[in-house]
Amino acid sequence: MSEAANSETMDQTVAEPLLECDGVYVTFPRYGAEEAVALRDVSLTISRGEVLGLVGESGSGKTMLARAIMRLIPQPGAITSGSVTFEGTNLGELDPEALRRMRGRDIAMIISNPRGELDPLQTVGQQIGNVLRYHLDLNSKDVRERALDLLKQVSIPDPQRRLDAYPHELSGGMAQRVVIAIALACSPRFIISDDATSGLDVTVQAQVLELIRKLVSERDTSMMFITRDIGITAHYCDRIAIIYAGEIMEVADRGVFFDDPLHPYTVLLLAAFAQNERLRRYWLGEDKVRENSGPSAVGCAFQNRCVRVQQRCLAEHPVLTEHRPGHFVRCHFPVERP
Amino acid sequence: MSILTVDELVQHFPIGGSKSVVRAVNGVSFSLDKGETLALVGESGSGKTTIGRCVLGLIEPTGGRINFDGTTLGRHRTVRSPELRGKLQLVFQEPAESLNPRMRVFEQIDEPLRALKMPRADREAKVRLAARRVGLAESLLERFPTEISMGLQQRVGVARAMISEPEIVVLDEPTSALDPTARAEIIDLLIRIQRELGTAYLFISHDLSAVRHISHRIAVLYLGKIVEQGPSAKLFAQPSHPYSVALLSSVLLPNPRIKSGGKIRLSGEIPSPINLPPACYLAGRCPMVIDRCRETMPPVEMVADNHSVRCYRHKEVSELDKDFDSFARFQSEADRILGAGIPEPIKIGIPENAGDR
Repeated sequence: MSEAANSETMDQTVAEPLLECDGVYVTFPRYGAEEAVALRDVSLTISRGEVLGLVGESGSGKTMLARAIMRLIPQPGAITSGSVTFEGTNLGELDPEALRRMRGRDIAMIISNPRGELDPLQTVGQQIGNVLRYHLDLNSKDVRERALDLLKQVSIPDPQRRLDAYPHELSGGMAQRVVIAIALACSPRFIISDDATSGLDVTVQAQVLELIRKLVSERDTSMMFITRDIGITAHYCDRIAIIYAGEIMEVADRGVFFDDPLHPYTVLLLAAFAQNERLRRYWLGEDKVRENSGPSAVGCAFQNRCVRVQQRCLAEHPVLTEHRPGHFVRCHFPVERP
Repeated sequence: MSILTVDELVQHFPIGGSKSVVRAVNGVSFSLDKGETLALVGESGSGKTTIGRCVLGLIEPTGGRINFDGTTLGRHRTVRSPELRGKLQLVFQEPAESLNPRMRVFEQIDEPLRALKMPRADREAKVRLAARRVGLAESLLERFPTEISMGLQQRVGVARAMISEPEIVVLDEPTSALDPTARAEIIDLLIRIQRELGTAYLFISHDLSAVRHISHRIAVLYLGKIVEQGPSAKLFAQPSHPYSVALLSSVLLPNPRIKSGGKIRLSGEIPSPINLPPACYLAGRCPMVIDRCRETMPPVEMVADNHSVRCYRHKEVSELDKDFDSFARFQSEADRILGAGIPEPIKIGIPENAGDR
């Protein structure tokens, strides 16, 4: 399916990154003001079969990174610097037609709010069929069979009947399964899940997460799992990246990440789950009077909310450095533990 | 002394053009003491919000009684009646949508006082005090809601609810739209305000880690019925209803070693409240179902003081997993890992009643 040049890399025993973002900047020009930077120097690699969790709050640039990988940055924003390489191909060099062929076939996306994204006027079978027909050369009988098969794989009860159901006839959890089925339709090698479970009830969320994890490991698919909830990543991701104000703040393997978080922002996110007064007081800065303080443009982006801020943080922009092997952090004064 | 008692509350909504009704609430009884937090937890469609709206008198219940501070609420005595105005308040789910975009923060917080016809001279000082109480900087009072972050917007929502010094505040998923850090801040704020003012909270939420932190007692709702009710710590440590177990097991805490006990996994999704199951509502999804569950609705049984459950097999359920409390295990891990990063010489003002929760 992919270009011949890539087949060599697949044979290599060393885990070659499947996807590599290198120094990606996304900016939006503003009238009469300095341009707004949505992503700043984002470098990430995702290996084959790996699930990377990307955690950030609303407005941190999580979805923008997903869109940058898919080359779907909303106008007038643009990738102004850096590159995204997928299986050795620089996606920035592909023409729009090649990108269209790639999206949905090689890289697929599971979006949140499934009921809002599905077409209310098409049946489930038609919507799954659209993807199959576009990317694979199948006749309508095969398309229907494949769609039915996909619905079975995502454990939808009574799949035969659901094939002809419209989105409004589905519950939230089922609609989310349909969206997953669409994403899986062409057996993509990379899936981006953008807050895919946020709208679901907790018991249903648990079912959907189990399903995603199972399907991903069965097919040896790689995944970027975008979420606001750091709790999910502890159980369903291999490696975790924290994004704040468009910058990657910390990246590490799951085991290290939760046992030895280095960035004060990571600790802040974790402390939000703790019920210890001392921890909450220190890391969350309880009793502090709140100003309207966003990320800072000069120095460290996190300085306005950091409990450990020092003089150097105000002036000097920290770079993402490898503090320990495989554990990257963007902080002048990472948290030390005895 | 209970400030609020709800007795066999029933709320059915007619469906236009049809004889069937949506059975949102099907006989719910609970009470709320002064200064106490009762959490109503459950999935969407479990009737949590409807109960909150009934308590405020925003909708008239189909059946049952609601008693507030010695008097019955009903058609002519609601939150809008002059004698009750300002005593019952509500904090909404979506902070942005519940604030008027054309009013400055000051006016938003001031609004309940204007409804209470308080003289202008007294109001200003009260608004400033309320803003300080929720940690809003003075400079934000002249801003519009769209100019401040969502966490700050929700602080405005809390300040507005608290300014009339209500007896009861219904908090309808006050944190679900917020980012985790803002969520934690709002919960801390609500706890502190309750200590200062002694307000009773009816905390409606499906965010169980927040519930664990803020509430004294918990009522677990499923399809408009309370399936289990008890003290917060007890219910988290040893739930006795299969639905409570499933709900608590689905919480994901940020530590890969702390897996929630997955002894009970529910299949499928919550049924429609239009066609309720004939006997136990959970029978169709419960892995521990027996024939009796499909024949009659289990009665309310007391398993301990203040701890009641509606399940035939509650004894077996409560003994499924002795080490169920993943929250407690997470807390000790958090102390170890996050506490180690705190530099030693640090001033800690320990508030009175710290550790009460």
